[in-house]
Parts: sequence; C-alpha cells; structure tokens
Amino acid sequence: MTLSDISRLFLADGWLQALAQGMVRTLGISLGAFVLGLALGLIVAMVKLKGPRWMVVCANCYTTLYRAVPELLLILLLYYAGADLINLTLAAFGQPSVEINGFIAAIVVLGIVQGAYSGEIIRGAIESIPHGQIEAAKAYGINRGLLVRRVILPSMLPFAIAGLSNLWLVLVKESALISVVGYSELLTAGRQAAASTKHYLLFYLAVGAFYYLITLVSSSVFRQVEVRFERWMPRHA
Amino acid sequence: MKKTLLVTLQALLLAGIANTTFAADKLVFGIALEPYPPFSFKSGKGEWSGFEPEMITAVCARMQADCTLNEMSWDGLIPALKSQQVDVVLNSLSITPERQQVIDFTQPYFFTRALWIGDRGLELDPTPDGLKGKIIGVQGSTTHAAFVKKYYGASSVRYYNDQDDILADLRSGRIDIMLADQLVVEPLLDNPDNSMLASKGVAPMDPLFGDGVGAGVRKGNDALRERLNVALKSLRDDGSYEKIRQRYFKTDISAL
Repeated sequence: MTLSDISRLFLADGWLQALAQGMVRTLGISLGAFVLGLALGLIVAMVKLKGPRWMVVCANCYTTLYRAVPELLLILLLYYAGADLINLTLAAFGQPSVEINGFIAAIVVLGIVQGAYSGEIIRGAIESIPHGQIEAAKAYGINRGLLVRRVILPSMLPFAIAGLSNLWLVLVKESALISVVGYSELLTAGRQAAASTKHYLLFYLAVGAFYYLITLVSSSVFRQVEVRFERWMPRHA
Repeated sequence: MKKTLLVTLQALLLAGIANTTFAADKLVFGIALEPYPPFSFKSGKGEWSGFEPEMITAVCARMQADCTLNEMSWDGLIPALKSQQVDVVLNSLSITPERQQVIDFTQPYFFTRALWIGDRGLELDPTPDGLKGKIIGVQGSTTHAAFVKKYYGASSVRYYNDQDDILADLRSGRIDIMLADQLVVEPLLDNPDNSMLASKGVAPMDPLFGDGVGAGVRKGNDALRERLNVALKSLRDDGSYEKIRQRYFKTDISAL
C-alpha cells in the first residue's frame, strides 16, 4: 500500500473524519462518566466515613457489587433490559416513552462503576489526611460544608490524584465496551472503516493511535493538575 | 399595508401549523451498524447507501413521513423495536414464526436463499452428515443461525456479530464453512480477497428461513404496518421498486 492510497482512504473517503468523530464521542462518554463517577465517589466516601450505619451498609453493598460485576454485563443490562423497564414504568404513569441512546447508557453505566472505584480512592485519601488538621479546623468552629471545601478536599486531592488519573485512563479504554450496542464511538468507527475498506491493519492501528493520543494528552493534563494540587506539599529531593 | 401584514401573518401561521402536523409524523428506522453490501453500508463521510436505505427513503417519501435512522448492532434491532427506541426495522429481517411472536411484519419486499461458502479446494457436502465435526460460522440472531442450530447438532457452530468477521475467519481457516444470505455473499466471492473461497451450494428451503424479508414494526402497531404495506405496494406498482432493485441486484428479488 502506498502513501497515496493511505491518504485517499483517510482524506478523500472521509474515514479520518469518521474516526475523529468517534474520538470526540469517546471523549464525551469518558468525561461524562468521570464527572458522574467523581460525584458518586465523593458521596460514597463521605457516607463511609461519617454516615449513619445503614447508609454505610448501603455504600459497602454498592462498592462491592459494582466492582464485582463486569461493565459489559451492566451495559447490556441497562441498554436492553433497563430501557424496557424505564419505559414500562413511564407507561404505568401514562408518560410517553423515552429513548435511551448509547451515549447516555454508556455515561450512566461507566459512571456508576467509576463511582465505586473512585469512592474507595477518595475514602483512602481522606483517611490519610493528618487528623490534627481536621480537629484544628473544628476547634475554630468551622461548619461542615466549609470544612469539606476548605480543608478536606484540598488536603485530600494530592493523595487521590494519582489514583484518579489511573482511573481516567482505564475509563477511556473501557468506553470502547459501548461498541457492543452499536454506538459509533472510536472503536466502532474503526471497525466500520476496517470492514468497509478491508484494510484491517491500517485502521486498527489508526484506532490505537487515536487512543494513544488521548492518553498522551490526558497524562500531561493530569501532570499539570498534580503539580497545582501538590504545590503546598513538602518536596522530597 | 396593515391588511397585507395581517394576511402575511395569517399565511405564516397557517404554514406553521401545517409544518407542525407534518413534523409530528416522525418515524425512526433502526439500521445495523455494519457493512452489509449491497443491502446497507455506510461511507466514511457518514452517508448510508445500499438497497435498504434507498427503500427507506422511497417508502418515507410515499408516506410523507419525516424519517431518521438509528444505528445499532444487528442483534439489538428487535430489542430496540420492542423498547420503542425505533419504530420500523427495514433491514434484511426475514419473516419467521419465531420473530412474529414478538414483532409484526409488513408484506415481504424481497426474497433470498441461504448459501454455503467454503474453501475452494475443500470438498464439502453441506448436509448435516457431511459437516459432522466441522466448524460452521454464522451470524448470531439470524435465520441462518436458527437453521444451523436445529439441524447441525453434530457440527460445532460459531456465532459472529457481523458477517465480515465470519468471512475473515473463513479465509484464515478458523472455521470450515459458513452459511449466509446468498444475495450478500455471492457478489463478495468475486472480490480478489476471497479468491480462495467458493460456493458450496444453496441450503434447502426450510420454514426456519422464514417467508421472505419484511419490515418489522412493534406488535399491535397495525396502523403503521398498513401504511408501510400501502407504500411498499405503490412503489412496486409504479416501477420505483424495480428501479432501485436494478441498481443493486442483477436478478429479480421480489419473488423466489
């Protein structure tokens, strides 16, 4: 295959654009799921540390269950069975049916699973804050919300950021699982291109390159974030 | 001046109402996101072409409906229909008694047979006895899968998500033979990539292959089914169907 063949496939036939659109969707899924996962994780971590007993039991059930079940199974469950269930419930209340698209299903499923993992990371990070700092804040009469915002979150983030950036990278790759329902994210777009043109090696390598690009960019972003969050931490030479 | 303005406004308003009634007639067609030429395939620029996307456009024009395509995996089409994510599946869905239990079908809009494909150099007899111990590849959730599963218990069967993967595995020798839609695989045999493959004969008629290929709608959605039937019939009567068919198939596919 010559260089002109490759450029024809990617540019004139438009497959590069198809892959780029797939990458945007992959990024969209991953970002949405990451944000949802962080929110869930924060709640879970707070509940596990300070919540009443029955909520702690619930939170423990959640993290155990969702870390035990494969994401692929959850996607199939939500996309096919879940859509049916939601529409049946809506019909019972006389509401029109809703359409569950692959995008929302992916965000919800991956976000719920992420929540279970990030909850554990955040809980560990909060526990590694020297207890004296929280006691000192309380001694000043600081209220709960402010305590979380001004003391716990900033001192927890340096401990959590490495684990969270790992989670993000895993998430980007797990978003490929949504291809089973035929949602055209990066992997589906690549499969489509490979199967239509019969240039399997070329397009699967291209898909790999796109994932690598995402990883490369997000690693450097996380490095910046890490530097910023750790700016007050003591440096070990 | 004031009067002209009023008239214009009225006209605009009426046009607006007409538009909303028009736009209310929205139909979502489910389509499998896999290259399945010549029935349906998508270009890099994202446009669908093939016999069935053209049929969808033609049918929608006849019904004066505003149609969109919803892409999904092949085995997700019927679940999507049932859970109201799509209204119609016009995508090579054979009319079988098994499927008729969960969805309703229009009149068939084409007929096809199933074809065995295997290695050119290999002598294969595609009967249950002849394929004993061999590996058969079929696409999951298809009539071909149902047929092989029922009669070929002595062979091992592999199920694939799309037809392209079966062909790839057949070429690399991971399976011995495949069963697929004759109209789809026969043209693919002319492809130089598939020069090592050859037809091993047409599978016998069987109720499991269904009675033609129709458009699927939700169970009980008789109004839509009738509209589709009327549209399909009018396409056939005025020759539009024949024009679309000629662009993709050399032979008549409207009857067996």
